[in-house]
Amino acid sequence: MPSAGKHKRKKSSRKKSALDSVLDQVTDESVAASMKEFEDLLAQAKGDTSELIRQNAQELEERLVLLKKRKIDKEDFDFFVENQKRDLRVFVDSQPAQSQERAEKLTLHILEIAATKVVPVLIMMI
Amino acid sequence: MNANIAKSFALRNLFLSVAAILVTSCGTATFSKTGSDAQIESLRNFELAFIDEFAVPGKRFNAAAFDAKVNQGNAKFQQAIADEKFTARRPVLVDLKGQFDADAAHLRSKASRGKVTPGLATEMKKDVNKIYDHALGR
Repeated sequence: MPSAGKHKRKKSSRKKSALDSVLDQVTDESVAASMKEFEDLLAQAKGDTSELIRQNAQELEERLVLLKKRKIDKEDFDFFVENQKRDLRVFVDSQPAQSQERAEKLTLHILEIAATKVVPVLIMMI
Repeated sequence: MNANIAKSFALRNLFLSVAAILVTSCGTATFSKTGSDAQIESLRNFELAFIDEFAVPGKRFNAAAFDAKVNQGNAKFQQAIADEKFTARRPVLVDLKGQFDADAAHLRSKASRGKVTPGLATEMKKDVNKIYDHALGR
């Protein structure tokens, strides 16, 4: 019996260290740089003159909060990101050539960073 | 002089005919567009009801009922695409069908495993309303 208790304690301490390592990763330079890039792009997108770009940023932020609160899961989040991308590709392609790069950065690129960099960190922190 | 009057009449008649054709075709276009918009609204309502029926956390998954609804949806979309008079609107309907297919696949995957989350229906319906609003040019 005591060995079972011991085993349990060992398991929980392993879990704790896994979480610690995730938190350490946030301070890791490459992850921190991605987070900073995401925050900057999100702020730019939320202040953009295009309603679609603002709306997309707003939705993305809301869904990250829903994910954090476990109202949706990663599968749902990825599904919604794909929906948003499908919708936004038409918008980006319809922009004048000189505005396309910026539009893409503030829409498709931001979604990509959220899905690949922000969500994994967020999930580990839940 | 008579030749000039005859020429003026001919021109006037030609102008009136062109104007009549334009007015008639615009009227037809408006009428058909209204019908096309109503069709899109009907598809939207179908899809929203579909989400409400199956994106319910904890609800037992009824595969037969789900498949029946998906088949009904497929038939509705195919009919709408075939009936669409505005050829320019067909790709829009095809996009809407693509969204329905994606929604059905995601819902099946989640509901069949009992993994429907509390926020899923609301968020799915948000996306559906957005894509339909865009399709209607709103």
